[in-house]
Amino acid sequence: MKYFVTPAVLLLCGTLVLYPLFFVVTQSFNVGDPETFPPAAYGLDNYLNLPDDARILGNTAFVALLATAMAVLFGFILAWILTRTLIPGRGVLERLLELPYYMTPLVGALAWGVILGPKTGLANQLGQHFFGHDLADIYSPYGIAWVMALFEGTVAFVMIAAAMKSMDPSLEEGARVLGAGKLKIALTVTLPMVMPGVISATIFVFAEMLGSFAAAFVLGIPGRFYVVTTAIWEATFSYPPDYGRAAALGLSLFIAMLAMLGLSRLILRRGSYATITGKAFRPRALGVGWLRWPLLAFCWGYVALSVALPLAALLLTSFQRFATAILPQSIFTLANYRNALQMGALGSALANSLVLGLAVATIAVPLASILVWIIYRTKARGGRFIEGVVMIPQAVPRMVFGLGLLWAWLSIPIPIYGTLWLLGIAYLTVLMPLGVRTLAGVVLQVDRGLEECARVCGASWLYQMRSVTLPLLRPGMAAAWLLIFIAGVRELGVSLFLMGPNAKVIAPSIVNSWLSSSSELSAAMALLQTLTIFVAVAVLFAAVRSVASGALGGDEPI
Amino acid sequence: MRDPHTPMIEVEALELRYGSVAAVNGVSFAADKGELVTLLGPSGCGKTSTLRAIAGLEEPSGGRISLGGTVVYSAAERRNVASERRGVSMVFQSYAIWPHMNVFDNVAYGLRVRRLPRAEVEQQVMRALALVQMQDYATRSAVRLSGGQQQRVAVARAIAFSPEVVLFDEPLSNLDAKLRAEMRVELRELQRRLSFTSIYVTHDQEEALAISDRVIVMNEGRIEQVGAPRELYNRPQNRFVADFLGAANIIPGRVRGGATANGEAMFETAGGHMIRVRAGGPLRGDEDAAAVRASYIHLAAKAPPDAANVAVGLIERRHFHGDFIEYRVRWPAGQLIVRTPPTGVLEEGQEIALWFEAEHCALLEPARRSAPTSSPRRR
Repeated sequence: MKYFVTPAVLLLCGTLVLYPLFFVVTQSFNVGDPETFPPAAYGLDNYLNLPDDARILGNTAFVALLATAMAVLFGFILAWILTRTLIPGRGVLERLLELPYYMTPLVGALAWGVILGPKTGLANQLGQHFFGHDLADIYSPYGIAWVMALFEGTVAFVMIAAAMKSMDPSLEEGARVLGAGKLKIALTVTLPMVMPGVISATIFVFAEMLGSFAAAFVLGIPGRFYVVTTAIWEATFSYPPDYGRAAALGLSLFIAMLAMLGLSRLILRRGSYATITGKAFRPRALGVGWLRWPLLAFCWGYVALSVALPLAALLLTSFQRFATAILPQSIFTLANYRNALQMGALGSALANSLVLGLAVATIAVPLASILVWIIYRTKARGGRFIEGVVMIPQAVPRMVFGLGLLWAWLSIPIPIYGTLWLLGIAYLTVLMPLGVRTLAGVVLQVDRGLEECARVCGASWLYQMRSVTLPLLRPGMAAAWLLIFIAGVRELGVSLFLMGPNAKVIAPSIVNSWLSSSSELSAAMALLQTLTIFVAVAVLFAAVRSVASGALGGDEPI
Repeated sequence: MRDPHTPMIEVEALELRYGSVAAVNGVSFAADKGELVTLLGPSGCGKTSTLRAIAGLEEPSGGRISLGGTVVYSAAERRNVASERRGVSMVFQSYAIWPHMNVFDNVAYGLRVRRLPRAEVEQQVMRALALVQMQDYATRSAVRLSGGQQQRVAVARAIAFSPEVVLFDEPLSNLDAKLRAEMRVELRELQRRLSFTSIYVTHDQEEALAISDRVIVMNEGRIEQVGAPRELYNRPQNRFVADFLGAANIIPGRVRGGATANGEAMFETAGGHMIRVRAGGPLRGDEDAAAVRASYIHLAAKAPPDAANVAVGLIERRHFHGDFIEYRVRWPAGQLIVRTPPTGVLEEGQEIALWFEAEHCALLEPARRSAPTSSPRRR
């Protein structure tokens, strides 16, 4: 069986992952008619033309750098406050800081568009009313970077907090015993220890920002401000489509991101003296005295700007016929929700997204479990190679992957383009790394002896799996299921290219509604998506908790 | 019935490689029914790999393993019986208590796998739990046990289905010193009472000496010496064993002349001092070291008239250890470590007489390969 499974898995994963990429590479060298495949003529023109897009590349770098700087700054301060200081309500804050991730950059961008859109934005209306001019223009590079930092920067907080948490407090105590003061310790011990984590997080976030689409799309298109991802979108959907340019841009982006992610990993591995000891530490938290009020204000201010204010703005707008902050003038209505739900397309888009999320999560989790088991638990050859192939989609910008899938499946005589089936396959491919990473963390924590002991006790492989391995993995599988489900419901980058008129999903529908209809309707749709995710998270968290406690508690014999 | 002379466990010329590294390199030994044989050695010596090969958890690259006369692994016959069909049982270093089951279900696992009727499962589980004094914890969740209790449950689980062979992989290494000492007495009692055959892996020489019928000292994938605990302690054959077990003084030098009728030989130390030593067998002539245990050396103001190997010593350092006092004594052949009962304390700088029986000074085989010897290992 060992000899059969690895090649089979490799073949399947290879097809799903590498086949679309092959198309992107081929298309980038296509200098003939972009709509015939295989290409009639090959050449380097698409790459040689890249300098024409220098403005776009410059825009991308500028926005990504600015967003990264803000995200890392926010992330560092928040991580420090929440892991190393004694401020009240740390638990609640930590929970709330997860919310921007669930909200998605698309919803965030829509919300900030509603707040600070020129002239029509709610805050700008107030500005006009009271000061006679706009407060700020969110439809600008700075606005894009701001929204990206708020809604995609959460990962910086998570990574830096992890680095700060895993630092052995005795390292600081050692310096203190040797006579160093608080500032001296911070500069000579704490900072150097945490630095590799911070640098690694910075590069990782920068790579993410380079591949980010939603904010640049919602806030950049009105002002004709393009970054690489939105340029790819434009090249694909304008007429005539310029697939070669899209592919060349996409591959350049892919290579830049891959290099960044590789660098980030390298730095983390080389430089993390403090982090890998396998011991659990309780970092010593500082009493900060009067300083806790400004720190608290910073945390709550962040939550307000990234969660409360955007949701409130969307809520207000979605119930109005015309968005206005001047309440006496507003006409409240439920029409937007009625439209959103009755407009056949959207109702079905939400349903489709939920169905896809459920189905993909349900298929991906067992599949990822088997993969992880092959990679980490059997001595099957090529386990690491499988891991490498499966994880590739993580490094490929979603847009680029979507393009590849589009071309790959258009050129196959199986008529699934424009159906939910293709979306399902695409989701499975791009979300698999998430499942594998989550489950790998769980599998590696399960002591191998637990499984071996079952075998020595006389259990067959199947019996061991059923009675020991699967029950132990259950909480991890539930968590992976939840993550994939959320990622599926909010998926945008791949869906944008693969959605058909009869197979709509929610995130691209919001984009389309925003392009073609009113912001009030889009707000209603965005809120519906957010609400769906929040409810799903709440329900599933409760479920996961009961599954997990079922695995670990319970005094009564079964 | 099996031939009574067939050993319960027989390992022949076992080899096990991890990639290009040979973890076990031609190991052969046997254990008779009811015997407790310990594999002792430093980490990386191949003891755990050998044990796991017997359990069927590692696939060897050569040799043969038989259990109760049945071949379960044979490189020549390309046979490797799956772990679950070997009928052995094992206690893991990490205890491997399943956190999602309670104590009863953990212990019942091996019985349920064997599809025993419910009533019998219950009876056997309670018997096993009673043997380790855990009968009151049957319904306790496994995660709410202390380390010592988990250890007991692991043992109960291993013996519940009455296996003929129980393998122990450093079962006590995660317990604190006091509990460890108690548990090893209990384990030995249990093994004698149920008379199962055991292979016991440990790196703790004290544990090995206390618990075993026979000890196999391993190093770098090979067997250094096999013997009963007292035999190994009193008559180490080579530097490695002398050094690894207990506190020994290794005295470099060379043999002079042949062995006498009573098995003794003359040995000239590096400093030119002559002592009488015990020769294990016929002399080879190139022996270059002898070993004497720190606790077999006597110190006094004056040696009795019939004492052997008498020399003048100078107490250089004294360390009080509680159960014994350790002295560093300068003598004509260099320095000796001497342990005496904590009565009759000698002063640093005092000149004394020291002596030891030739019987207690074992001539060591010359180094087989570049054996890693260092200063005497102290415990």
